[in-house]
Amino acid sequence: MIENGFNRRDFLKVLGWGGAVVALSGCGNTSVQDGAEIVTSYVEPPEYALPGIGVYFNSTCAQCDAGCSITGRVREGRVLKLEGNASSAINRGKLCGLGQAGVQAHYNPDRVREPLLRNGDKGEAITWDKALGLINEKLNGVKGDEIAFLTGAVSGHVKVLLKNYLEALGSKNHYAYDAVAPSVVRAANKKAYGVEMPRLRLDKAQVVVSFGADFLGAWVSPVHFSQEYAQFRKGSDGARGVLVQIESKMTLTGANADRWIAIRPGTEGILALGVINALDAAGLSLPADVAAVSKAYNAERVSKDTGVSAEQISKLATLLKARTPSLVIAGGAAEGYKHGSQNAAAIALLNRVLGNIGKTIEAPANVPFPQVAVTTGNRSSVQALNDSMANGKLKVLFSYGVNPVFTAPAALKFQDNLKKVSFKVVFANYLDETALAADLVLPLDSALEDWGTAVPEYLVEAAQLNIQQPLMEKLHAGTRGTGDILLALLKQRRANEYKDYEDFYSYLRSAVVKNKSALGGAGADDDTFWGETLSEGLVKLPASNGALSAKSSAAGLVLPAPAEEDSAYPLHLIPAVTANLRDGRHANQPWLQESPDPLTTIVWDSWVELHPKTAAKLGIVEGDIVEVTSRSGSVKAQAYLFPGIHPDAVSIPLGNGHTALGRWAKGVGINAFSLLDQVVDKDTGELALNETRVKIGKTGKRVMIVKDEGAAGGSQAGKKIAVSASTDEVELSGEV
Amino acid sequence: MSVTNLLENWSQFRHGHPVDDKPHEEYKWAMAIDLDACTGCNACSVACYAENNIPVVGKEKFNAGQQMHWMRIERYWPEDGREFADQGAQFLPMMCQQCEAAPCETVCPAGATNHTADGVNSQIYNRCVGSRYCSANCPFKVRYFNWYDYPSTDNVWPAEMTQQLNPDVSVRSKGVMEKCTFCVQRMTAAKNTARNEGRLVRDGEVQTACQQACPTNAISFGNLVDPESKVAKQWAHQQVELSKEVQAKDAQEGGTDLRGYRIMEELRLYPSVMYLERVRESAI
Repeated sequence: MIENGFNRRDFLKVLGWGGAVVALSGCGNTSVQDGAEIVTSYVEPPEYALPGIGVYFNSTCAQCDAGCSITGRVREGRVLKLEGNASSAINRGKLCGLGQAGVQAHYNPDRVREPLLRNGDKGEAITWDKALGLINEKLNGVKGDEIAFLTGAVSGHVKVLLKNYLEALGSKNHYAYDAVAPSVVRAANKKAYGVEMPRLRLDKAQVVVSFGADFLGAWVSPVHFSQEYAQFRKGSDGARGVLVQIESKMTLTGANADRWIAIRPGTEGILALGVINALDAAGLSLPADVAAVSKAYNAERVSKDTGVSAEQISKLATLLKARTPSLVIAGGAAEGYKHGSQNAAAIALLNRVLGNIGKTIEAPANVPFPQVAVTTGNRSSVQALNDSMANGKLKVLFSYGVNPVFTAPAALKFQDNLKKVSFKVVFANYLDETALAADLVLPLDSALEDWGTAVPEYLVEAAQLNIQQPLMEKLHAGTRGTGDILLALLKQRRANEYKDYEDFYSYLRSAVVKNKSALGGAGADDDTFWGETLSEGLVKLPASNGALSAKSSAAGLVLPAPAEEDSAYPLHLIPAVTANLRDGRHANQPWLQESPDPLTTIVWDSWVELHPKTAAKLGIVEGDIVEVTSRSGSVKAQAYLFPGIHPDAVSIPLGNGHTALGRWAKGVGINAFSLLDQVVDKDTGELALNETRVKIGKTGKRVMIVKDEGAAGGSQAGKKIAVSASTDEVELSGEV
Repeated sequence: MSVTNLLENWSQFRHGHPVDDKPHEEYKWAMAIDLDACTGCNACSVACYAENNIPVVGKEKFNAGQQMHWMRIERYWPEDGREFADQGAQFLPMMCQQCEAAPCETVCPAGATNHTADGVNSQIYNRCVGSRYCSANCPFKVRYFNWYDYPSTDNVWPAEMTQQLNPDVSVRSKGVMEKCTFCVQRMTAAKNTARNEGRLVRDGEVQTACQQACPTNAISFGNLVDPESKVAKQWAHQQVELSKEVQAKDAQEGGTDLRGYRIMEELRLYPSVMYLERVRESAI
């Protein structure tokens, strides 16, 4: 084949020499040749690593607080993909986009890799010994009430250690903060039903009326609710459930409603009482206390106040009377006002009047071990923390799992007050805005590398203890688990108590195994029980449901008249919590940035939603860069004309607008938190997210909005592409 | 494939599958998507990125129409001039419809895209020369072209991010066309297992990534040849026949009260994806 006396063997020799020369001159010794690394033959593979075959390990999703159980596909020791764990009653094998992006949090190139100590404007890498020693040193001579720990929602054994650590420091200052928590609804539920988060049985309801609860998108436990929603839509024997969504700005749930009702911002409670009044008129007998309140809310008045037609109100009442049981849910849109608690209370009355309590609103499962039950986050905690920082009362602050510099409303001046704390320690995965303001940054393991347990707030059937376990080896030698850090800090204070635990893993194992009989492992030997627990990824706790105490009462219910016009700031700002970005902590995961917003199809940016009517009045067209100004701040972003928003409102999604965090988040969009006025719900003191008033001005600039609406601009151009039918045109019974 | 060969043997290359002389034997993969269950949440799309090594292109390239989402959610508003979208939006998961008479296949000058025996429109990356004729000829616009060498010059998977890539799926390089494969790597694995055990793939044994993630179970996927599979039962109940361009039920006077339909059936592409119409309550 090869001529000129140059045969294949010679050819290979030349190649071989060439290769050797490259190897000798090019690279020097590899770490293997130096003996720094050892190459092990795959003849003896590590346990469960089967070359070429994916193996699956169970853990718990940490992307939001819903507590979905996940199954990681692992190949050759690398986690590739997260899927839902079918044995969890919460997500039953399913997982949302946010959850799946957990692998991008893990492999993210912008993770912090070693402890950083502030040196002027820079962070200087230091060792863990030095970092932990420094914390010990800074705490000496500091009184307990001068120390605070700020976290998001925490549960499980990390919470136990956190509590013990604060106790060891003599501090009672644990602030649990969640910028977008349904905290007013929780308080209203507690009053109306006796529990903060009852179980909502969408699957049992014939009609669901949601006052702005985005339960399919970003509210409480979206993957679970989506599954129940599918059952609710299928109904039994073709009796399809009907969803009515009432809100000022359309959420993903609103986009799936049979009827979406645009309501004047803040008048949700008035409409709820109007529907009760209409139910009365339709012949439903009302309890005396309710009737006394609702009688003032006749159709004419309610229609004038809310902007919802009298005909629509009576239709809704007729539907609710005819189809039972129903379920009425109060969500973010209703709670975000000065009178948010009152709105939620009025909405809860609807459930009482319709007899839903006990039918579609059930008592949640009890958590038998209160020490591991979740401490939910709220917004008033960050106000309280901010106050004590402003007064100069705090000397040492720990922060874990939250980014208050980014999410606290502008009016609090959180960043300035933070400077008054002399030593700030931030546990961080990324250098976010809060980590950049820290004196010491402690780099955390990713959620797929760490050990932990979690008890979700929203429980289904029975309580469950979710197990979080590493799905692969740590990527970076310099990061540590949250539990390990807390344990090390505790050992500084209570060495004797924790001396038996070498690391958090041994603490966790011992804590779980010690209680095995209560966790359904009575009789099993420790290793078997622990092995099975890890393999399952969760422990179902014995079912024991509490009881609702139906004490929803109309007494004391006072709903203010609709907000007056504000000529300086004529529009209501509704900050939108989107399914992908939530409060912004995951903005550096590129799948989430490139995944179009379902309603606007916009990617990689922020936008200002305006009703076409409002836009026409202001002379704004799509893509105009508009300036949105509130009393607390101002931002510039592209305008998007949107048929799912009340003409008195504008909406900007939360989550983007980072000045730090990482390459995919920094400089993308604007931060809507920076517009928020410090107005609180009167009953709970929670920041009222929808109370900020704004004005809009044109800047004269215009851009092409980057979106996925398609060539025809979201029009079907007369073709039969996405087809819709009304229930009287289709026969659903007998469907497979 | 030379032009002479193509012309001489036209009937062999160009016919709607299945036909009497070439029926599907063991498998015909197909899908059914219930638009009344779909909430437009995008979980399917992210699952597809994770499973199929799809590059994230960034804002600028997205603007140029160079996004690579094999599975996208189309969003439509009612177009009757109403003041508010008071019956919500209409979402439609759109990906390759795996047409039985696929218009992309006949125009490929390199034979890079063609039909497999189990009824899937396949794309052979190392045969593709990047003419992009297939994309031009696709009425669903579900073919995506690699305008850049995403792994290297564009560095879309920096540092540790490469470790997330699924080794069962090729990472595509510049100049080739790609699209939804019905997760062919998962089908192949399931078929191999079944073959080793001397049986056919069971219903539910292979799930596409989108189907697996979908929180409302809107997507079903399976073998249309197996009358006991869920997808075959759905197609049968909805009276949608794979090889018809006009379904008998649609020709009935007064239309049909069944929800199943295929998009642009009149183009005689015989897609393998059946959608079920979204429903809206008439009483409210």
